[in-house]
Parts: sequence; C-alpha cells; structure tokens
Amino acid sequence: MTSKLDNLFDYVQERCLWQFASRTWDRTENIEGVLKQVGVLLKKQQSTAETPAERLHLADAKVLVNDCRQRYDWVNAIPPEEVDLVLDGLKDRLLDVTITRSKNRELNHSLY
Amino acid sequence: MPMVLLKCDKDIPEREKHIYLKAPDEDTNSHLPLSNAATIPGTLSERGCAFCGAKLVIGGVVKDAIQMIHGPIGCAYDTWHTKRYPSDNGHFQMKYVWSTDMKESHIVFGGEKRLAKSIHEAFDEMPEVKRMFVYTTCPTALIGDDVKAVAKKVMEERPDVDIFTVECPGFSGVSQSKGHHVLNIGWIDEKVGTLEPKITSPYTMNFIGDFNIQGDSQLLQTYWDRLGIQVIAHFTGNANYDDLRGMHRAQLNVVNCARSSGYIANELKKRYGIPRLDIDSWGFNYMAEGVRKIGTFFGVEDKAEELIAEEYAKWKPKLDWYKERLVGTKMAIWTGGPRLWHWTKSVEDDLGVQVVAMSSKFGHEEDFEKVIARGREGTYYIDDGNELEFFEIIDLVKPDVIFTGGRVGEIVKKLHIPYVNGHAYHNGPYMGFEGFVNLARDMYNAVHNPLLKLAATDPRGEQKVAFLEAAE
Repeated sequence: MTSKLDNLFDYVQERCLWQFASRTWDRTENIEGVLKQVGVLLKKQQSTAETPAERLHLADAKVLVNDCRQRYDWVNAIPPEEVDLVLDGLKDRLLDVTITRSKNRELNHSLY
Repeated sequence: MPMVLLKCDKDIPEREKHIYLKAPDEDTNSHLPLSNAATIPGTLSERGCAFCGAKLVIGGVVKDAIQMIHGPIGCAYDTWHTKRYPSDNGHFQMKYVWSTDMKESHIVFGGEKRLAKSIHEAFDEMPEVKRMFVYTTCPTALIGDDVKAVAKKVMEERPDVDIFTVECPGFSGVSQSKGHHVLNIGWIDEKVGTLEPKITSPYTMNFIGDFNIQGDSQLLQTYWDRLGIQVIAHFTGNANYDDLRGMHRAQLNVVNCARSSGYIANELKKRYGIPRLDIDSWGFNYMAEGVRKIGTFFGVEDKAEELIAEEYAKWKPKLDWYKERLVGTKMAIWTGGPRLWHWTKSVEDDLGVQVVAMSSKFGHEEDFEKVIARGREGTYYIDDGNELEFFEIIDLVKPDVIFTGGRVGEIVKKLHIPYVNGHAYHNGPYMGFEGFVNLARDMYNAVHNPLLKLAATDPRGEQKVAFLEAAE
C-alpha cells in the first residue's frame, strides 16, 4: 500500500495546485473535498456532486483519476475496499506536508 | 542540502535564508526560502514598489478607464508602457498616461485641489470616458492628501462618472506584491456588487489573474466562446471597468496568476460562495487540463474534448518541431513569482527543457511551496535575487537561455547569454496551445541565434585597451 500511496502523493505534489491554496482552511477543504470525489470515482460509484464546491472537486478529481489510471496500472485494478485505506493515508500525508509541517508563515493569517 | 550562502553574499549572510538548492528526497518541509520579507540592507533588490504592483500590473490594464496618478511625473512614466497588454478598443489604456505632476509647492501646500482639477481636466478632455482609477504615490500619501474625499466630491459633481481610488504608496509594502493585495481587496470592498452584469449564457465565470500580455486574454477568450461560457470579467486583461463590478454573479472563478489576484478569488469565495479553480494557462498539457476541469464543472466535457483535440491537431506538430531542437536546453526563470511554478514543469514536459535556476521578485512562501514541489532537484530557488547573485548563479548552472524582464535582460545580453522577455514576452501571446508554440519559437530563436556568438567576438584583438574597474 505504501508504494501506491507514494505514487499518488508524488502525483499530487507535482500536478495539483488545489493542495497549495492560500490558507489552512482552504487547503483542508480542497484536500478533503477532492479526495472524497477521487474515492467515488475509483470505486466506480455515482457521484452526487451538487453544490458548486462539490462540482469543482469532482472536476479536479476526474483529471487526477484519469491521469493516474494512465500512469499507474494498479489504479485500474484497485479493489473498492482498498481505496479508502489508500486515500485516508494520502489525505493524512497531504495535510501533514501542506499544513502541519508547512513552513509557509501565511497559512493561518485570519485575512486573505 | 541546506540553504545556500553564495560567495558574493559573504557580507550579507542573511541572504542564505532566501536561496535554496533542492537535493534528492527533500520537499517543501525540508527548506523553504524566506520570502515576501523586507529586502536586506546591502542587497540591490530588483523589486518594484507597491504602487507599481497596483497600477502597472492590475489597474492599468483596464481598457476603458483613465489612470490618474497623483504624484510626481516619474511615477506615471515608470509604470506606463513597460508591459504590453493590448486591448480591443484601440489600446486606449496604452496610448495615454495621466498624472497630477506634483511639484514642490503642491507638496508644501497640499495636492487635493490639484488632484480635483486634474480629474476634471481629464474627464473634460476625454468626455467619452466615464471611469477612472486614482492612485496615491509616496509623496501624496506622506502629506495626507485625502484622495477618497476628492473622488467622492467629483462623483457628486459628475453623477455619470465612477472613480476607484487605490491608496497604495510605493513604501507601503516590501514589494509590488502589496499593491496587488491593496487593489484586490479595495476592488471587492468598494466595487464588486455595484452593477448587475447582463447574463448571456447558462455558464458564467470570471477569469482571474491574466493581464492580456500580448493578447493572452483574447486568445483564451476564443476557447471560452467555443465552450459557450460567458466570462463576466477578466481580472483584468482586456477588461472593462463595469464588467469587473459584476464579478459577484459568476458561477466559477478560474485563477491563473494566484499571486497577483488570488485575494479577490478568495474573497469572492468567502463572500459570494463562488468556488475557485486554479489552473496553469501556459503549456499544452496544463492548458488541456484546465479546459477539461472547466468543461467538467459546467457539464460540457464533450465540447472541451473537441476543443483540445482541435488545438492539439493544429499546434502539437509545430510544438514538437521545436521540442526536437530544444530538448536538453538549460533555462533560468527570473520573473515575478508565479511563472516559476507555472513554467518549470510545462517546459520540461512539453519541450524537454530543464529549468536550472529560478528567482522570484515578489513571490510569497506559497509560491515557493508550489515551485519546489514541482521543480527539479539540483535547481536553485531564489527569493529577491540581486545582480551579483545572478552572475554567480550563471557561473554555477550555465543556462542556455534566461527568461526575465527587460532590465535584467540587458545585463544578460552583455554576457552573451540568450534572453527572452519573461514578463512582457518577445512575440506573444504565450498562453494557450498556440501561445506555447510562440514561447517555444522565441526560445528556439534565442538559443540558436548566431548573432550572440558574433557579438561576443572582439575585433580589436590584442590591440584592445583594458580599463580596470574601480574595484579591481
């Protein structure tokens, strides 16, 4: 599972601007929101994205999933029960790197 | 690898906190250049001022407004015409420059009357123009001229005009970044929501942080037209003043330059619930990704895929011709901030170019997180670089081409290193599919230009008289 998590983490770090939003709460919202939709897509479930924010997260998630399907064969074969394990690990690592251990001094400024 | 203290910085060791060389297995938690911090005494910063960030970068782009600069004449000239952002109304905003031309007596006795007179004079001379930006500058801020009160009085006397004041003197921040911030927040506080836009499509968005450099906005607009999406406002490329007052009605904010304009996108999300989508508009792969995401958000995926396929068919062979000839080229990017992270992977993925050094004038730590996450190992990441550091970095990484601004570009040319204008472009637009071919062409022409080698030849040979520099 670690290598799968590494694959996805490296992809997100290299490609995804949503992880580096301006403030802690924006980063948290984006990481949780996009990965939720990624889970739906990887488990081939019907997305229920309705609000504007959910539709945006779905748009981000679709690109991520399609790219990763091309980059990593295992993405096409991952069983649904493993998806949550991998994505929970990815979420924890992204929150740790982009928020908890981030050296960005502006992350918790109350104003934009 | 720790942060780097260059030899030229031995007397200003604080610069070590601003220069990073990425080593294997390091990430943004390992090291992050200190940025958006005051320039260290002893370093010759190449930053602009806060006023410049407001006027030259954002406000001055608006195509149908008078840009009244309340200050000495030099503040006007030095923020006029140095960027090429055309408009589809005959480039009104580039043809004219306005200033209250403050002299010593106005500083001594106050400049408010002169400002009022100048505003009336400008509107009288250009009666078809009804919108205006007024900027304070260092001296008029220091003497306490109340530009808001002056603007309010003028608007009472002239009910058909609308004036936006930007109180952002040059000294108000550490770089031009402060000016971006002040204008963003001022605009949403005072102008957004004051006019209802005419809605012409079920799909509406704002395109934020694109300033129509050599036609970027106009090129991208053709994509949005093909997708059937109404852009309520471009912030601020080729933009009308009144369109920008209607930004609150968009369903989506698409952000390119997150540094100059992320603030207004964040505020639109907070105040009006409009989600923010960050994209990269430079590069084939990135542009396709952005178009796909926008298409998915609005439920027009098929049109998006059609557009991407058409653009790839038309432009990819041309891009590949340049790629064959540019693979392995070593590139340095010394620009404002976001182009570091927008470009470092796009030139690598689309053109096979390696970015070996990057310097940001006004980027924040968020920008360095993005670029270090994307950028190569063995590459230098520099905040607020100075000229001596550039010389030393050039010796260390030996770039084949440097993308930077006109002033640094002149230095680079004297070193006989090819230079491409990374701010205002050589021959843009550079955004979009077509635009990235333009960028590739300009890079190719720069790298393979035989004139640089000829220019490096000194015909005087042994007869050359050597003049010692004072420091030698």
